[in-house]
Amino acid sequence: MTYFILLLGLCFVLGGLAVASNPSPYYGVVGLVLASVAGCGWLLSLGVSFVSLVLFMVYLGGMLVVFVYSVSLAADPFPEAWGDWRVVGYGASFVLVVVVGMIVGGLVECWKIGVVTVDSVGMFSVRLDFSGVAMFYSYGVGMFLVAGWGLLLTLFVVLELVRGLSRGAIRAV
Amino acid sequence: MSLLHLSFYSAFTLSSLGLAFHRTHLISALLCLESMMLSMYIALSLWPVENQATSFTLMPVLMLAFSACEAGTGLAMLVASTRTHGSDHLHNLNLLQC
Repeated sequence: MTYFILLLGLCFVLGGLAVASNPSPYYGVVGLVLASVAGCGWLLSLGVSFVSLVLFMVYLGGMLVVFVYSVSLAADPFPEAWGDWRVVGYGASFVLVVVVGMIVGGLVECWKIGVVTVDSVGMFSVRLDFSGVAMFYSYGVGMFLVAGWGLLLTLFVVLELVRGLSRGAIRAV
Repeated sequence: MSLLHLSFYSAFTLSSLGLAFHRTHLISALLCLESMMLSMYIALSLWPVENQATSFTLMPVLMLAFSACEAGTGLAMLVASTRTHGSDHLHNLNLLQC
């Protein structure tokens, strides 16, 4: 079971590498979907299912969908693919930078494999993350209202940014 | 440092390298930013699991809310750039010539 979580951690890093060295934004979105699915599976294996499902719904189902159709707005009609030698060069150089950073920073002795999971310790019937996020409504109500206000404000910011009635030049879109 | 900590740490480093070396499109820089937010979310939600502290599970959810704000604003700027210059290529953003 530990090795399964380590495999999901490896898929997470490979998704991040795919986003960083993407030949075209279409493949970058694929890497981001892979990284978020691996991250959700990782959190599920640890037992915190609520934050994992929040990640699935808000991040994958909300933000990434918006990113996918923005990519279809803004990307090339004839993209490069993974087999291009420049893409492989970028990917290899990013991996090289991370490996050199690991060696210089003295992280090569990090083979301690430890996975701590959520235990329902004692007489509790609610898991760790359900009761934690539910504190949004009791102790964290100030931050809850601030976050809601910030989200509402963002709507008006976005509206103002894309308006450009007399300030924009080309209306190709 | 355990191996899983290295996993999200190196995913964050790779995404920030991808942000620094963004090549043609503005949207690939925004995708690298989203990948950094994802690795920060995983890191923030691993912390209450390892320390068995219940109330810190608020933090990744709150971070996700503000990251959604940031993603929306970045995409609005992408749309504004596409409407003005016809594409989102980064060499169009050339007002600061130094």
